[in-house]
Amino acid sequence: MNDPVALPDIDPIDRLAILAAALPGAAVRQRRIAAPFDAVWQVIADLEHATPRYEPAVAQVRVIEQHGEFLRLLVQDTAGREDAMDARLRPGWCLMQSATLVIAFAARRVGRETLLAHLEHRRAQTPAPDRSGSHHRRAALAKIDQELQTIERLATRYGR
Amino acid sequence: MDPETVAAAQQGDALALDRLLDELAPYVRRLCARIAPAAADDATQEALLAVFRGLPSLRAPEAIMTWVRSVTVRTAIRLARQHDLEVATEGTRMDRCASSLEGLVDIDDALARLPVSQRVVLVLRTREGLSEQEIATTLGIPAGTVKSRLHRARAAFREVWES
Repeated sequence: MNDPVALPDIDPIDRLAILAAALPGAAVRQRRIAAPFDAVWQVIADLEHATPRYEPAVAQVRVIEQHGEFLRLLVQDTAGREDAMDARLRPGWCLMQSATLVIAFAARRVGRETLLAHLEHRRAQTPAPDRSGSHHRRAALAKIDQELQTIERLATRYGR
Repeated sequence: MDPETVAAAQQGDALALDRLLDELAPYVRRLCARIAPAAADDATQEALLAVFRGLPSLRAPEAIMTWVRSVTVRTAIRLARQHDLEVATEGTRMDRCASSLEGLVDIDDALARLPVSQRVVLVLRTREGLSEQEIATTLGIPAGTVKSRLHRARAAFREVWES
């Protein structure tokens, strides 16, 4: 009954889609980045140094605890406010969560390039289908697009 | 399955959702690989999307495995039928019993050659160890129908296996 069946891991990009399905209102975009997976992931995994370079609202990130894949972070925004985040980080998958925010990255090798997906979600938000809701959604998606472009620039530099 | 993890996931705790996915994915993939072997990847992804989308509507966290099984089996049946239909439409399908019998290497291979409706009851009974009543609940059909399908499925399986 329990004989083995080959069970490959879920691809990180597929995993992000599943996570998004459980987070109504989550904003997700993906971009094919002209840099190898290792260079892209070097940017994402360098939470302390790289995050403030692509996320305009973040001034500083400190890793204050680490147990294998699981991290605890202190994130300071540009207004000086500090927030704690719990995170899980491994190659191709990064998930960070505070009391109010969920951030995730997923990456897949595509030949010599990389498909990178990025999710942002405000917790406890009710998706608003009205005009202001769609405006916020468009703004959230534009912000993610901007961040993905910045990550591509950083990864291209790392990859050289 | 830890009910606290399920309850936290239902509340939108992303790290709890991540843990839940780690626990559920191997089970969902195994069921899909057996019920929809030719479309296992698509069935797994669709079933997991349906499970996670529907998570807030689950009223009893302790019943999550029964619910996940039901969602997964129904998704896998739909994808298996869709795949069979596409293959038949393309006109490339060979006679099931006549197709490469020398490749019949194990029980899963033989199960894959049965019609979906027979394969699913046999998989749930013999590979997943469910009772006839549990199969009936999973498929949303009467227990008597399960019994008769099992009878026909066993006969069909023997025919494929011994041919």
